[in-house]
Amino acid sequence: MAEKKELWRWTESRWTNPKLDWKGKVITSGIDVGSVSSQAVILADGELYTYSNMRTGSDSPDSAMKAVNWAMEDTGLKLEDIKYTVGTGYGRVNVPFSQRAITEIACHARGGNFMYGSSVRTILDMGGQDCKAIHCDERGKVTNFLMNDKCAAGTGRGMEVFADLLGVSINDVGDLSLKVEKEPQPVSSTCVVYAKTEATGLLREGWPKNKVLAAYCSAMAHRIMTLLERIGVEEDFAITGGIAKNRGVVTRLEKEVGIPIMKTDYDTQLAGAIGAALFAKALLEKGKK
Amino acid sequence: MGYFCTYVPEEILYAAGVLPVRILGSHEPQDLTEPHIFAMFCPFCRDCLAQGLKNRYKYLDGLMIAQSCLHIRQAYTSWIKHRPVEFSKFLCMPHKVQSPHAYEFLTEEYKTFKNEVEDWMGKKITDKDLKNAIEVYNENRRLMRKLYELRKRDIPPITGEQVMEVVMAMQMTDKAEHNKMLKDLLKKLENHTPDRETGSRLMILGSEDDDTVFMNMVESCGATFVIDDHCTGSRYFWNEVENGKDLLSSIASRYIDRIPCPTKDWEERKRIPHILKLCKDWNVDGAIIMQQKFCDPHELEFVSIKKALEDAGVPTLFLEFDVTVPIGQFKIRVEAFLEMIGEEDLF
Repeated sequence: MAEKKELWRWTESRWTNPKLDWKGKVITSGIDVGSVSSQAVILADGELYTYSNMRTGSDSPDSAMKAVNWAMEDTGLKLEDIKYTVGTGYGRVNVPFSQRAITEIACHARGGNFMYGSSVRTILDMGGQDCKAIHCDERGKVTNFLMNDKCAAGTGRGMEVFADLLGVSINDVGDLSLKVEKEPQPVSSTCVVYAKTEATGLLREGWPKNKVLAAYCSAMAHRIMTLLERIGVEEDFAITGGIAKNRGVVTRLEKEVGIPIMKTDYDTQLAGAIGAALFAKALLEKGKK
Repeated sequence: MGYFCTYVPEEILYAAGVLPVRILGSHEPQDLTEPHIFAMFCPFCRDCLAQGLKNRYKYLDGLMIAQSCLHIRQAYTSWIKHRPVEFSKFLCMPHKVQSPHAYEFLTEEYKTFKNEVEDWMGKKITDKDLKNAIEVYNENRRLMRKLYELRKRDIPPITGEQVMEVVMAMQMTDKAEHNKMLKDLLKKLENHTPDRETGSRLMILGSEDDDTVFMNMVESCGATFVIDDHCTGSRYFWNEVENGKDLLSSIASRYIDRIPCPTKDWEERKRIPHILKLCKDWNVDGAIIMQQKFCDPHELEFVSIKKALEDAGVPTLFLEFDVTVPIGQFKIRVEAFLEMIGEEDLF
């Protein structure tokens, strides 16, 4: 039997700032153990020094350890060099070496503020299994927020299921979905299970893959729009989390919102961990346990 | 006598020597009620009906409801159909309590109801019986208000979860007995300082709510509920029966003028200024607005209540409850809310 390619599997990554030497600097870290992905971010004197971004395994403490070890690889850093760690995300209380757990809502606001600048007022965190619309002030402190319902509709996990169903690599889903001459009707449900059934039907009717993907990305954008409408979008507007990398969803959402979505060179999946690492720095400076 | 709604005039039952017991759910997932009640009726009324169908209230001789919402009425009608009781009553509590005719109408309904109870019990309810019942109930209400007063302290001596237990006990036991226990409790709390941080001071408001698991979860995240507006809370006992024309009309006035449930707070929304006053007097930092999923009356109220609170500088968090609450998903919302209203040291 031919080996089945895991099309949903997105690329894991790590990066170290070649221009920085961490020695003699204050080291803090933020670990974001999400339902789908885990990130470790290490700051040296508040500057981004090294990070890793990988899939979450079935064991949260183990995922946190793996992420931080990978981030520290070849840097000479050891766990005991990190003076303060904040855990965040779905597995926030399961980060074994952390001093404090803070919600990903607060961390995404703070991390978004770092990545996009202090003018950002609305952050949409599109994660693996949920979606959060956050308002924040110029410091990146949350002023209001709204989360989606209790299911995985319109989230990263749903997109993974679709990539698998259609045999398209998750990295290509967004771009491929934009290659349609005319935008099709969105699928009527973003519930992963129902949408999958509907997509199977469309494929049987002879729809090409790109058109089915367009219908799903558009349904997802529309669903997120209803979340944003409930809380309101204040400029500047930025997106964090994995789905922010999916141009198929972002382009359609931008059109619906009618406000430009900010761009960044940072990996959008890092926002939570960056926020956590910044909180770690603040807490260390204030001598908080 | 089991009762479904806090608009039932318990004083009349108590005067006849009947013990009113509130029907509450058990917070266990079930599908027993599926053939009898719509799945999009609120989880509380389905949970209540399940208790009846499971024979968990087998000790009841009677069952009654006063008109409030259709969902709970369906639970009542389905219950008496499938588990008949000796005495059952649908009391026509008017919706438009703000109408000047409501007092007279309800007094007349009470007269009929009193006769029915007398026939059932085989004895007359005298004015002395009624006066005694009113006094026992009023004393209970005064003692509860005293308990709530203690929660105004900078360090409240009692948690919201504990108070919820007190209110539930209040709705299940003989009020005379409850009064004794309340007096003991008040004495114990007089100089009591609990071994816990108060944290953010919260209000919880909304529909029927006896979810102690949720209360405990929130209060373990660095917060204390200092005040509530629930029918399993302050709405139940806030108002006393005052002396009126005659005993039945005095009782009727109490139920007409009480802090209303949203099914009856129309056209003027009288509950909103009351809620704002509670926030101010109990010095709250934030409010959690909850409701049973699919509760239309509370859903309708939500928008204006949220706005009124936020205009008054009280941040809000809205949550929809089910028979069981998803603690993990609620916890992140609650923690983020507490981080939002506090945690200045992170910046």
